[in-house]
Amino acid sequence: MSKVGKVLLTLVLLAGFGAALFFAMQGQQSEVAEKARTEAVASATELTGIIALDVEPFFADERVRKLLADQRLPVKVTRVGSREMAAKVVAGSMPDFFFPSGVVAASQIVDAARKANVPMAQSSPFHTPMVIASWTPIAGILVANGMAKPLGDRTYGVDMVKLTRAMLERKRWKDLQGAAAYDVSRGVLVSTTDVRRSNSAAMYLALTSYAAHGDVLTDRATARALAAKLAELFKRQGYQENYVNGNFDDYVSIGIGKTPMAFIYENQLVSYALTRKGVGADMVLLYPQPTIVNKVVFLAGSERAKALADLLARNADLQRIAVEYGFRIADTGVFMRTVKPTGLAVEERITQVVDPPSFDLMAEMIDVVTQEMAQ
Amino acid sequence: MNRFRRSALCTIAVLTLLGCNKAPDPASGIQSPQAGPSATAPAESPTFKVLATSDLKDAQPLEGMVEKATGVKLRFSFGGTMESTEAVLTAKTDAHAAWFANAKYLLSDPQGQSRVRLQDKIMLSPITVGVSESTARKLGWTDPAQAAKVTWKSIAQASAQGKLTYALSNPATSNQGFMALMGVVASASSKADALTAADVDRRAIADFLKGYKLPGDNSTYLAEKFIEQQGTRVNTFINYESWLLTLNNGGKLRERLVLVYPHEGVATADYPFMLLDDSRRADYQKVVAYLKSPEAQTWLARQTLRRPISSEVAATVADIFPKEGMRVELPFSPDRQLADGLIDAYLNEFRLPIASTFVLDTSGSMEGNGRRAQLVQAMHYIAGADNSLTGRLAKLTNRERVWLLPFSDVPGPLTFFQVPGGDPAARGVQVQQDSEAKQKVLADVRSYADALRMTGSTALYDSVLKALEHMLAQKKQSPGYQYSVVAFTDGENNKGRGLAEFKAAYAQLPEDVRGIPVFMVLFGEAKESDLKEMIATTGGRVFDARKTPLYAVFKDIRAYQ
Repeated sequence: MSKVGKVLLTLVLLAGFGAALFFAMQGQQSEVAEKARTEAVASATELTGIIALDVEPFFADERVRKLLADQRLPVKVTRVGSREMAAKVVAGSMPDFFFPSGVVAASQIVDAARKANVPMAQSSPFHTPMVIASWTPIAGILVANGMAKPLGDRTYGVDMVKLTRAMLERKRWKDLQGAAAYDVSRGVLVSTTDVRRSNSAAMYLALTSYAAHGDVLTDRATARALAAKLAELFKRQGYQENYVNGNFDDYVSIGIGKTPMAFIYENQLVSYALTRKGVGADMVLLYPQPTIVNKVVFLAGSERAKALADLLARNADLQRIAVEYGFRIADTGVFMRTVKPTGLAVEERITQVVDPPSFDLMAEMIDVVTQEMAQ
Repeated sequence: MNRFRRSALCTIAVLTLLGCNKAPDPASGIQSPQAGPSATAPAESPTFKVLATSDLKDAQPLEGMVEKATGVKLRFSFGGTMESTEAVLTAKTDAHAAWFANAKYLLSDPQGQSRVRLQDKIMLSPITVGVSESTARKLGWTDPAQAAKVTWKSIAQASAQGKLTYALSNPATSNQGFMALMGVVASASSKADALTAADVDRRAIADFLKGYKLPGDNSTYLAEKFIEQQGTRVNTFINYESWLLTLNNGGKLRERLVLVYPHEGVATADYPFMLLDDSRRADYQKVVAYLKSPEAQTWLARQTLRRPISSEVAATVADIFPKEGMRVELPFSPDRQLADGLIDAYLNEFRLPIASTFVLDTSGSMEGNGRRAQLVQAMHYIAGADNSLTGRLAKLTNRERVWLLPFSDVPGPLTFFQVPGGDPAARGVQVQQDSEAKQKVLADVRSYADALRMTGSTALYDSVLKALEHMLAQKKQSPGYQYSVVAFTDGENNKGRGLAEFKAAYAQLPEDVRGIPVFMVLFGEAKESDLKEMIATTGGRVFDARKTPLYAVFKDIRAYQ
């Protein structure tokens, strides 16, 4: 072989080898990249969150877990009563986020965080109105006594002013007009969870205070006096469940005999209906007029948590899954279409919405009720 | 999720391996309380201890089912509602979780709330009045329309008129008994909402309790006795619906029970399963998920006749539950004053007062091993000043009559003590402080015990016989008391009559003696088998004070007295 030939051959061989090496390297690199990506997804540090019971099933949903993992925002959540969350605000050992039920609990946390010098960013990706879960015969009695009126097919609007008045006058069911279907000597009362511990009961206090006062309370003395008066709506119930589902569990499993009217989040009955693809024939929703819309408030305490907040609010899949758990999102159409097949009648538009009193006033009213209940 | 599944699988695998190495467990399912960190034991998954109310004994097979389904080694220990509540409140239990028929007192107390980390209701059973069919017919309650109108007031009236005689577990220690009293109180107060201590109408309670003929402290015992005494001493059983349905299905009753759900309200047990130890949260969640699964819910419904909490399962087992109309729930008053006052009033004022002879072993052997001290301590305990819930249950109550009968070679003389009655208000209940007169009687009992001297041998049967004869004579004179004999002893009988002679002499006593049970409290090395044989003749129970805390012994004795 000539020298030239040898050199050429060497070059060709080298080129071939180089190319092989190059391609081999390429392949390895993309494999490495893919592996690195999956590893990054898998090893992305979990965001820690303290959440209300309402959103626990949402975070436990496989689809949500996968979506969040793919976005490198996997979460590890712990369920805590909303009103106990503020106590978990400890500088230096904070979770990435809180997800309490309701603005009152959220304000409490933000307040605690402010005092501990920890900044928190608020957003509300889903919401649900406060409603009264009830029964057809009860709705009939309320209508017969002018305290409610039919809104649509099997939904009712309850006049909170009249209902609150009847309760404060200590009316008994059997004393009402046309009460044959529920001629019991128990007082007319809406059952709630324990106001000392839960957000939904605080919303009930806010709503009845609005009904009794005719407006949102702003003044401390009036708020205290009214809370003292409204305390009986809680005290006369006797024992109240102190976890959010307790009251609702009684409504669905014990029924009308224990719980003729239960103050709940609409999403509780909606998600119950969606899971079971239907509800009991007699179960109806009464929409208080006015009512309060409960926002599930996302409080982000870290940059990654802010990214999660953004994802929860914007990702169409996550929003749709939230609806499957009974929440309403900005797009009411999705909500109505999802609920329809269950046969549970819901109101499309929630009108006459009021705000709860300010956090400070609310806290003070709850204190007053707590004191009254201890006596 | 994957990681979780894998570790769960590992746990199951480890358990299976351990299971293979171990000899099969005895059927009891009760583990020794402390296995201890021994060097030889492999890393076994720790037991998940659950303190349960005794009416849940029929759910014990869940131990195996839970372990098989979840790998969690769940083990029950059982106790009465009130003592279990107190154990959780005061953190005097090492259980990781608690499962009560009713935990409302626990959960309405801030301290109780702080002890309970998570709670989930598992099933439902309303407290129901089971009336023998023939009795129900006489009262007109076999007609469903009539039965639907029965109230606690009509039940109290029928009791006062002697038409209704019932079995019920102790209102001072059990949820069923207590809630039945609350039903009567609610009905008589004609108040629409939750009651307070001031609302109690004492006469209504007194009326209702006139029909209380068969007391006891747990449903298993009461069910046995009810089968024996249905149609003679009692015609009605007030208990959870589940126990009444079980009796109706069991084929042992003389006649079927008609289930009546008082119109103005029943109390429904909702069986919350509660996490106490946060470090076992994961196990708790697995167990709850299983208990609420269709498999466990269906088993509970079919085997224990409790209503499922899951409405889907409820629909599938609807055939096994009565289709009565609406059951109205009694509002539950979380007022501690009402509860304490009602229990106090029940013990000291309403219940049939207790008259008993305490037979005290003062033989020479009692001097040894601190047995005398144990006996004296027991006397101090019942005549003491312990005002805790359990203390009040064990203590001598107002109107109580006590004779002390020490013995060694022969039965000694009887010394009589009478606890004075209280001064109740006409309406309302509150815990009464011990009057000076009562304090003096209690002090007298204590000094009597302090002065006991131990010498001689043990004429146990002669002494028990003497006590029984004495109680018989007393019963004839003053029938308005609950008579019993309580004997404290450390040893075998070695003087006077033997067991066979005792039995022969007992057989000669008038028939009335059968209503007087004998409770034996053992110290030292007493021979349990002989004593059990004696109890089989006289009725009553043997309590081992070597294994059981004194308060538990007396609480039990009280419940049967």
